[in-house]
Amino acid sequence: MRFSPISRAVAATALAAVLAACTNSTSTTSTAGGSSEPAAAGQTIKIGVDLPVSGADASIGIPTQNGVVLAVEEANKNGFAGGKFKLDTSLLDDAVQGKHDPAAGAQNVKTFIADSSVLAMVGPFNSNVAKSEIPLTNDAGLVQISPSNTNDGLTIGDDAKKLRTAHPDTNTYFRVCTRDSKQGLALAQVAAQRLGLKKIFIIDDNETYGKGLADVFDASFRQLGGTVLGHEHITANQQDFKALLTKAKADNPDGVFFGGNTSTGGGLVRRQMSDVGLGSVPYLGGDGISDPEFETVAGATANGSYMTVAAPDASKLPSAKQFIAAYQARFKSNVGPYSANAYTAAKIEIAAIEKAITDAGGKMPTRADVLKYVAATKDFDSPIGKVGFDANGDTTSPVLSLLEVKGGKPITIDVITLKS
Amino acid sequence: MTLFVQQLINGLSLGGIYALIALGYTMVYGIIELINFAHGDVYTLGTFFSLAILTLLGVTGIVSGPMLIVVVAVAILGAMLLCGLTGVIIERLAYRRLRNAPKLAPLITAIGMSFILENLMQYWKGPSPIPFPQVIPNPSFAVGAVTVEAKQIMVILLAVVLMMVLQTFVRYSRLGKAMRATAQDKDAAQLMGIDINTTIALTFLIGSALAGAAGFVSGVYYGSTWFFNGFAAGLKAFTAAVLGGIGNIAGAMLGGFLIGLIEAMTTQFIGDQWSNVVVFSVLVLVLIFRPSGLLGESLPNKV
Repeated sequence: MRFSPISRAVAATALAAVLAACTNSTSTTSTAGGSSEPAAAGQTIKIGVDLPVSGADASIGIPTQNGVVLAVEEANKNGFAGGKFKLDTSLLDDAVQGKHDPAAGAQNVKTFIADSSVLAMVGPFNSNVAKSEIPLTNDAGLVQISPSNTNDGLTIGDDAKKLRTAHPDTNTYFRVCTRDSKQGLALAQVAAQRLGLKKIFIIDDNETYGKGLADVFDASFRQLGGTVLGHEHITANQQDFKALLTKAKADNPDGVFFGGNTSTGGGLVRRQMSDVGLGSVPYLGGDGISDPEFETVAGATANGSYMTVAAPDASKLPSAKQFIAAYQARFKSNVGPYSANAYTAAKIEIAAIEKAITDAGGKMPTRADVLKYVAATKDFDSPIGKVGFDANGDTTSPVLSLLEVKGGKPITIDVITLKS
Repeated sequence: MTLFVQQLINGLSLGGIYALIALGYTMVYGIIELINFAHGDVYTLGTFFSLAILTLLGVTGIVSGPMLIVVVAVAILGAMLLCGLTGVIIERLAYRRLRNAPKLAPLITAIGMSFILENLMQYWKGPSPIPFPQVIPNPSFAVGAVTVEAKQIMVILLAVVLMMVLQTFVRYSRLGKAMRATAQDKDAAQLMGIDINTTIALTFLIGSALAGAAGFVSGVYYGSTWFFNGFAAGLKAFTAAVLGGIGNIAGAMLGGFLIGLIEAMTTQFIGDQWSNVVVFSVLVLVLIFRPSGLLGESLPNKV
C-alpha cells in the first residue's frame, strides 16, 4: 500500500493527539513540593491523592486537591519531621471521559500501594469510587481519608463489613465529613420545615452516592409527614429529561429533589425544569450539586436551588481564617466547598506520619504505624473545628452547611450541627 | 390523555434529533456498508461548530426580529458545511483506502475515528459541559391543556423537511441517481461513467451535514453540550436506522421518531431507568420478526 506524505503526516498528528489526550485524561503525577526546599537527608514520604480533577468533576476536584497540596507544602516549610524527610504528593486523577470512575480509582490506589514511599492517601471524592478502593487499601493496610464521601455503606453496617475483605477487623478508611443518613435527614428537615414543602418529586442518578442519599431523603421526608409523588432513577449519559419532568409536573410538586452529582445530570435536570414549566419550583440536592459547575450548566435557572455541603462553610469559621488566607495566596483563587476538608485530612495524616517517624527512631515508618495514629485521632485542631474519628472511621463532629443559589451564586444560609 | 399528548410531543422532539443523526448512518451504510461509528461524534462536533459560529457573531442570548433568521441561518448552514467537510475528510483519510479491505478493518477504523474526534473536542472545549446560548425566543403555545414549545416545533419541522429534501434529492437528481447506482454495484456504476469516489464523498458530505444540523438543533433545544454527547446519541440513532431498515431514508426517520416516542412513553408509564431496556427490547423483537427493519432495506441485496 502506498501512503502519500500528507496522509502519513496527518496520521502521525492524529496519533499524537490521541496519545496526548490519553495522558491528559488518565493521570498526572506531579511534585507539589516544588516551591519548598528539599530536606538534606533526601528520603521522600508521599501522600497519595486520588480525586477527579478533569471533566465535569474538575470544578470541585481541583480545589479539593489544592487543599492537600497546601498542607504538604506548609509541612515542608515548617520542617517536617525535623527535616529528616521530604514530604511530597502523588496526584492521580480518577475521571475517565470527563467523569469520576470506580475502575480508574482502583487503578490509582494500586499505583499508590506499589509505591513504598506512599504512607497515606487522601481521597476519593465519590462514594462509588470509594467502594472499589476500600478493599484494596484494607488489604494493603494503607490509610485513606476521604474529604467528601457521604454514603453510609462505606463505614456503617454490613455493606461496610463486606468492603473490608482482607482484614475484616481492621479499618483503613476514614472521612472528615458526615454521612448521608444525616445529610438526607437534614435536607428532609429543610424541605419540610424550613421551606414548608408538602409534595416532592425525587430523582436520582442510580449511583452509590446519589441513590443512597435520595433513599434517605425519601424515607425521612415521609416520616416528617411529607408526600413523595414519585421516585425515579435516571441513566448514565442521559441528556433528555423532558419526559421525566413532564411526568413530575403532572403531579404538581412543591419541590424536586435530586440525588446525584452535577456530572451525572444534576445541572441539566434543573435547566430543563424551566422548559416544562417547573422553573419556579424549589430544587434540592446534596453536596453532589454544590460545585461551581452546577451554576455553569444550569445558568440562570440555578436560582432557587438549595443544597447541603458536608463541611462547614470555611469562610464563616474563625478557625479557618488562616487557612483561607494561605490558600488564596498560594492558588490565587477561592477555596472550594471541600478544600478545607481535604486540607484537614492531609494535616491529620501528616501529624500521624510524624508521630510514626518518632516511634521508628527517625527511620522510615510502616503504613501500619501511620494507620494506628490516624485511627487514634481525637480533638485534632483544624480549620473545620476539632476533628476525631469513631470506631467506624466516621467523624465525631458532623457539620453541614446549607446553601441557596441566589443571583447565580451559592450563598451559605445556615450551618447545621448534627449529633454524632 | 393530556399527559399522553404532552409526552408524544416530548418524544417526537427527542426523536427528531435521533432521526437527523440516523439519516447519516443510513446513507453511509447504504452506499458502502460501513457502520460509521464516528458519526455520533460528528453530530457533537456540529454543536461545537454552531457554538463557535455564534460566539464569532457575538450571540450570547435570545435574538429577535429579522436578525434571528440571519443568525439561525448562518449558524445552521455554517455547522452543516463544516460538519460536511469533516465527513469528507474522514472518508478520504480513514475509509477510502480500506474500501476493499475486509469489512472489519473500516469498522475498527471508524471506532478509532470516533475516539480521535472525542479527544479533539475534549482538547478544544475542555471536558466539562458547555452552556449553549438560547438563540431563538421560546414562547409556549397552549393547545388545550397541552403546551408546545417553539423549540420543539423547530426540531420536528426541521427533521421532517430535511428528510423530504434528502428523499427528493436521492430519488430525482442526477447525483442522487449516481448514489443509488453506486450503492447497487460499484463496479457497474464505474463502468457507466460514474465517479464513485466523488459520489461516496458526496454521501459523507450530506450525511455529516445533517448531523451538523442536528448538532445546532440539539444545542438550542437542550441549552448545553458536552464532548461525549455523541456517544449515547449516536448509539440510539444507529439503533433508529436499524429499526427502520438500514439504508432506507424514510426508515431512518421513522426509527428515530419511534425511539424518541418509546423513550418518552417508557419514562411516563414504566420509569425513566427502563427507557434503554425497552428501546433495545423493541429493537430485538423487531429484528426477530423483520430482520431487515420495519420498512426493509430499500436497496437491492448486495454482496
